[in-house]
Amino acid sequence: MKINRLVASPFKLLVASSLALMVTNAYSQTPSQEELARKLDQLSDELAKVKAQLKQMQDQQAATPVAPPAASPPAAAAQPAGATASAVTAESGPSRPEEPATVLFSYGELNYNRPTNSTKDTQFDMRRFVLGFQHRFDDKTKVVTELEVEHGVSSADDPGEVEVEQAYVERMFTPTWSAQGGLFLIPAGLLNEKHEPTHYYGVERNFVETAIIPTTWREGGLQIVGNFDNGLKLQAGVSTGFDLNKWDATSTEGASSPLGSVHQELALAKSHDLSYFAALNWRGVPGLQLGGSYFAGDATQAQAVTTARVTLWDLHARWTPGRWDLSALYARGTISSTAELNLAFVGQPTLIPKTFDGWYAQAAYQLWTHNDYVLTPFVRYEEFNTGRKYADLGVGLTPDPLKTEKVVTVGANFQVSPGVVLKADYQRFRPKDDSSQPDLSNRVDLGLGWSF
Amino acid sequence: MRCVVLAAACALAPASVYAVEYMTAEQAAKMIFPGADTFEPGNVKLDSASMQQLNTAGIQARSVNWPLRIAKRGSTTLGYVVVDEVIGKFELITYAVGVGADGAITQMEVLSYRESHGSEIRIAGWRKQFVGKTSAEPIRVGEDIANISGATLSCKHITDGIRRVVSVIDLALKNGSLQ
Repeated sequence: MKINRLVASPFKLLVASSLALMVTNAYSQTPSQEELARKLDQLSDELAKVKAQLKQMQDQQAATPVAPPAASPPAAAAQPAGATASAVTAESGPSRPEEPATVLFSYGELNYNRPTNSTKDTQFDMRRFVLGFQHRFDDKTKVVTELEVEHGVSSADDPGEVEVEQAYVERMFTPTWSAQGGLFLIPAGLLNEKHEPTHYYGVERNFVETAIIPTTWREGGLQIVGNFDNGLKLQAGVSTGFDLNKWDATSTEGASSPLGSVHQELALAKSHDLSYFAALNWRGVPGLQLGGSYFAGDATQAQAVTTARVTLWDLHARWTPGRWDLSALYARGTISSTAELNLAFVGQPTLIPKTFDGWYAQAAYQLWTHNDYVLTPFVRYEEFNTGRKYADLGVGLTPDPLKTEKVVTVGANFQVSPGVVLKADYQRFRPKDDSSQPDLSNRVDLGLGWSF
Repeated sequence: MRCVVLAAACALAPASVYAVEYMTAEQAAKMIFPGADTFEPGNVKLDSASMQQLNTAGIQARSVNWPLRIAKRGSTTLGYVVVDEVIGKFELITYAVGVGADGAITQMEVLSYRESHGSEIRIAGWRKQFVGKTSAEPIRVGEDIANISGATLSCKHITDGIRRVVSVIDLALKNGSLQ
């Protein structure tokens, strides 16, 4: 508004004074046709310049509220029209744009799934709606939070959930080292820490990083983060872990995601046993990311007949040469002492697996771009097994390993604007009609997501 | 809504500046042109025609004034250093771009970066991609500049910023307003 007024004033002044000048001239003398034409030309030149400047100011002002895509400092709009913008302010301390201490952000996704062999099960879901904020207390300390509603409505009679997905305080000690304390995302795989819909291909998150790595996986604890100039990023910490006492052998949830069914999400989390984790990622070559993660901790929380340890590790690589985006990941989990734990569950449908693992490879290509529109087709192949191996309980009692699921996903992400994505894909599952994974049948997925 | 918060925050926040600096602008200038013995203050002033020319090329010039440092060795101009800022995801990234007298990028340095993710833009390997590029080249993520997964917005915004700086200097060199 301020800009408009400031810009409008000289513009109006110019027009008014020009008109006044013309009127005065008309009475004082009679200029020649050529002179009048010359003056008109001059005026129209001036007008064109003022218009161009006005447009520039308006563009600048319009670009500011949607800061990330426009990439202009948030306080730029508060600068008076005549003031110089960032290039100046970056240099001179006092007039440097002020950064907001608090920033709101959000992401969300609406997913439509239509099983091709069972269209009666078609669903449209407000899968996630997330609001978060970051507040900076000082130049080195900030708090980051995310509050999520899943499936639209959360009440005693509805399927939704309300959950705090992140709530941590970060303190930077040096440009290399910082620490986070609170409820944070575990550094595992490629998806868990960057799980917004604009960051991954396909309507649904990949299976390996939901069934094996239980994205969105967060724990309460403390972690240190080191960012080194050679491209290495090290994260390590101590946190809460899983609670195997929650294992429900009567449900198929444990077969869908063994760790997803026993995660605690810092909801009165049993904390007798803490877990330890570390992740190392290297990005020393532009476009290439190589990394791995390790997480381990006892998970019976001193409440079972034995002590069982959950271990999960992964190796991942992502390479983005030019328009290509190629990635691959392998993840494997193990749970110890499952023979003792499973004895109580014999005869029930879902026993605790000893090992579970999966891998995927994905290729995406930016096929077409036009201004903000980006069309990126992709293909992903996954194999995963949530019950690769079971501990020996004796003949007739030991469950057979589950079948390995093989999923092909073909589709495209269409970026409408840098923070908005439309998605469409087709997923083919093999084997079909797997009783251990009853939810998985070939399907068409459509999705809308945003993130800012 | 975000813009309301930003505006409110701008109004309420004290005039303090949150910045963890890896280096100052002066240090960056010396790193970029180690052979220079003086850095003279300079300025590119864009007229409306130049602004429109940049607009046509898809560059939002953002400012009519572009202050810079002119790196000199004796009376010879080695190049120019522009210090600029863009937003990564939420927070400002301050960086310096060195452009040689021929209009080609000599070096890029990150002066401050504070996002939780994406500080990999500081890695020498990523910054090297810009060296030698001129405004005739795309300077776009996904074309001639590789993305850093997990830091997409920071990569894109700093790349867009560098393209803008190079284009402004190139234009100024061509129309004689910068010598």
